[in-house]
Amino acid sequence: MNRARRAVGRMASGVGDLAQRRHRPDYQIVLFMGLLMLLGLVLMYAIGPQRANVLNEVHNTDFYTDTYFVIKQALSLAVAIAAFVFFSKLPFSVLTRSAMRLVQVGLGLAALLFVAGNLLHIDSIAANTLGAYRWFNLGPLGGFQPAEVLKIALLVYLAVFLGKRVSEGAVNDVERTVLPVVGITGLMLFIVVVLQKDMGTGLAMASIVGAMLLMSGMSWKLLTRLVVVAMVIGALLVVFVPHRRERLMTFFLGDAAADSSHVAADDSNYHIKNAMIALGTGGFAGLGIGNSIQATGYLPEAINDSVFAIMGEIFGFMGVTVILGLFGALLLRVLRIADRLPDMRMKLAVAGVFGWLAAHVVLNVASMIGLVPLTGITLPLLSFGGTSMVFVAGALGLVYQLSQFTSHSTIMESRYENSSSRRGIGGSRYPSRRRTPRN
Amino acid sequence: MELHFAPKSRARGLAIILAIIMALFVVRLFYIQVIQHQYYVSQADSEQIKQFTLRAKRGEIYAMEADKPVRLVMNETVYTVWVDPVQVADKQAIVDALNRVAGGNTRKDFAQYIERAGTRYQVLATKVTRTQAELLKKENLAGVGFDAVSQRVYPEGQLASQVLGFVDSEGVGKYGVEQASNDRLRGQDGLLKTVTDVRLVPLTVGDKNIKKPARDGDNLVLTIDRNIQAEAEKALVEGMQRTGATQLSVIVMNPNNGKVLAMANLPTYDPSKLNEVADAAAFNNDTISNPYEPGSDIKTFTVATGIDKGVITPQSTYLNTDYIKIDDITVSNASKGQTGNITMQHALNWSLNTGMVTIAQRLGNGSSITRSARDTMYEYFHDRLRLGQLSGIELANEAKGVVVSPDEEQGNAVRYSNMAFGQGMDATMLQVASGFGALVNGGTYYVPSIINGTIDADGNYHAAADKPRYPGVISPASSTTLAEMVYQARQAFYSKTDKPGFYVGGKTGTSQTIKNGKYVSTETIGTYLGFGGEKGASPSYVIMVEVAGKDMNLSGNAHAMPIFNEISNWMIDYLRLTPRE
Repeated sequence: MNRARRAVGRMASGVGDLAQRRHRPDYQIVLFMGLLMLLGLVLMYAIGPQRANVLNEVHNTDFYTDTYFVIKQALSLAVAIAAFVFFSKLPFSVLTRSAMRLVQVGLGLAALLFVAGNLLHIDSIAANTLGAYRWFNLGPLGGFQPAEVLKIALLVYLAVFLGKRVSEGAVNDVERTVLPVVGITGLMLFIVVVLQKDMGTGLAMASIVGAMLLMSGMSWKLLTRLVVVAMVIGALLVVFVPHRRERLMTFFLGDAAADSSHVAADDSNYHIKNAMIALGTGGFAGLGIGNSIQATGYLPEAINDSVFAIMGEIFGFMGVTVILGLFGALLLRVLRIADRLPDMRMKLAVAGVFGWLAAHVVLNVASMIGLVPLTGITLPLLSFGGTSMVFVAGALGLVYQLSQFTSHSTIMESRYENSSSRRGIGGSRYPSRRRTPRN
Repeated sequence: MELHFAPKSRARGLAIILAIIMALFVVRLFYIQVIQHQYYVSQADSEQIKQFTLRAKRGEIYAMEADKPVRLVMNETVYTVWVDPVQVADKQAIVDALNRVAGGNTRKDFAQYIERAGTRYQVLATKVTRTQAELLKKENLAGVGFDAVSQRVYPEGQLASQVLGFVDSEGVGKYGVEQASNDRLRGQDGLLKTVTDVRLVPLTVGDKNIKKPARDGDNLVLTIDRNIQAEAEKALVEGMQRTGATQLSVIVMNPNNGKVLAMANLPTYDPSKLNEVADAAAFNNDTISNPYEPGSDIKTFTVATGIDKGVITPQSTYLNTDYIKIDDITVSNASKGQTGNITMQHALNWSLNTGMVTIAQRLGNGSSITRSARDTMYEYFHDRLRLGQLSGIELANEAKGVVVSPDEEQGNAVRYSNMAFGQGMDATMLQVASGFGALVNGGTYYVPSIINGTIDADGNYHAAADKPRYPGVISPASSTTLAEMVYQARQAFYSKTDKPGFYVGGKTGTSQTIKNGKYVSTETIGTYLGFGGEKGASPSYVIMVEVAGKDMNLSGNAHAMPIFNEISNWMIDYLRLTPRE
């Protein structure tokens, strides 16, 4: 046990050593991410004029031009690609060392937002969304959402923390592992879900933590308990917050169930109904670029959260199937890398990215096709610009970097978990590693 | 893509779950997009396709000013400002903006409607001008909307309001030209069925758009002359002040083409203030809608019939005893003392009923009003001069009046003896004036008209087709004789009122009214029917005036004639008639 712990510990800290052993990264990550980004750009080109028209009408200006959205998206993509490159180069060790710093920065920004928004109501700095303060208003630069920093901070911190506990063989220790994890996760969820009223980001965080715990090898018994606790808390959060309760009622029972005096319920049903109309009218082959009608104002958030439905309208069943295929492929690549990373911290970091992306893709698409209630969550890489795009690209950059450290042969987690000899771990992975040409 | 997850690894499990979810999504998408495609297309159509009515512009109405059309009725776009209480964000901003920009047009206590629950449309202000609406739109008030409404405006105020009529809030013409020519003025609304964006702006996307353009209504030009109408209305107002009469009407026509040059009644109304009209009777055009017993004016018709039939000349004499017996009744003269053997001209000058009954008798066998005499009178009064017949003028609510045919039991000698001096029959002023025009113009009956033509979209005037005319209702010679008699009748007493050198003739009428079926002398209606023009030419105008008042004794010469004189002398100047010796 002691030797094993030491062995893992050495590996975990010995990134420098591993750097020499690194191999070709997984270019398919870049391929799928690039294709999705390109599709997003095409979509902004396709519906930009309609959006510009709607916004000009609403704000009574002619500020928004036909190319406004495609240009802004291209700029966002440039920043996103820079973030990808940055995180693919930034040594993982640097990231792990600054895990605590990241958490502090994230919490600090969230606190600043809370003070500027909820306490001082300075709407010029903190953007007010239906009474909740979720992002800083940076003027022409757009908005900045501290919750994204919290997400990545949580991911890196838990990767380091859980990685350490795993190496100590204490992953199933309630006091040393489970409670701290629950503590920090709970704090962040409180900030995001309760203070910022952002259920979507909250669910994404839960998914990140869930994926990491699952991949950490935590026992099923503990995992089951955590899931039960999470579900109870989640249910309470829904039941005790009127607008969420109504949204859920509306989803299951239709408008009639919701109190008609509340517009929120009405709006959410309208939103889903119009998302389905967009998808349905798209048919098998789609209406084609420039022919979207739902994007002219019928479908709310046409270029952000509802972008998938607009894609369905423009590109049809064929188009969205390809998009789902690309997301599926990207997610499976990420999962494969997680599966093959021998270093537990790396493995957990990549698993976190998987949980992050998967939550966004699954929740967004499921709500658009009427399978789950609306949560207000972006579709990664396709939704219009902003912080989400940059952070997702950064996270994928991290995955891309770590994909250089996978072991070719697969590792039995049970074996890894129970390994009690150095040979059992090291021997099976690095020394005997053979490079065989793939595909 | 080969993935090669470790067997039984958790990653493998996650991958399988992910694959299942993705597959589920694809199946669901296939269901929505391919199987349910038509359902969603129809949902989209009901949401995205809107039908707009392309409003036809209602035709404008013009009068003539000499030979040039001038606008009497125009259209103006005004706005109704409304609010959707659900979308209101800042109630106070709306209140402030409306008070500042359109304070005079707001609904009473409009603020209370801004946040009224359970509704999505509350009117806040009406008849807001385009400028005001633009100012309000700039405020960008959430929840506030504007509806463009077209309304009639009247640059000449209440001029000819009873001729024009008005347009009600549903856009339907009421009374007058607006009602009678509603279909022509309204035009035909067009239709636009189109895919729109959420703010109802039509899109050119797709092939489901249908457009049927609107056909604007005709711009009508009336025969009414703006200046003559104004003069006639002024003369009526003065007459009202002078006499105290409460019901006054005047009609001015061109006897040579049947065109109505002026038509006015008092009391009247201001079409821009319809809501201030207390009694809907003010909307009536009495000259066409209110048949009355024309009385002594009809003596000109009786004389004309006698002359045309050759049974009398102006110089024919009869023995006037101031009384004449027909069957079981006795007719007496209103003016007594002109007894003895007198001429028909004398009888007309003094408006003697006995003379008229004598003519009726001479149309028969000389001593009684035989069936043949009655047939002749009916032919002239009803068939030729069209009393008791709808004239077909392009105005709403024209009344027909009553001329009893000899075929009816009521059409007996007694009835016809009364009809010889204008009792026992009902006619409108328009009927009497039109018939009188035929008597003095050489004997041609022109169907009266009030629509002169149209003005097309380019502003070009197009004259209307001529209305039917019926020459020879009396012979030209009879017409000349009759005109001369009417001229003499006027000159006998009132020669000094006219400008010298012109040919102005007229006949007074003072009719009793019937109350509870009996003629009473406590309330009489005064009328004056005359013509004017150059000597040796067909008359240029026919004017008929009527004055009435409840329980008032109003007479043709004292009360109606001064109004005639005023208009007649003005007409001579306006038409630039040449005086001759």
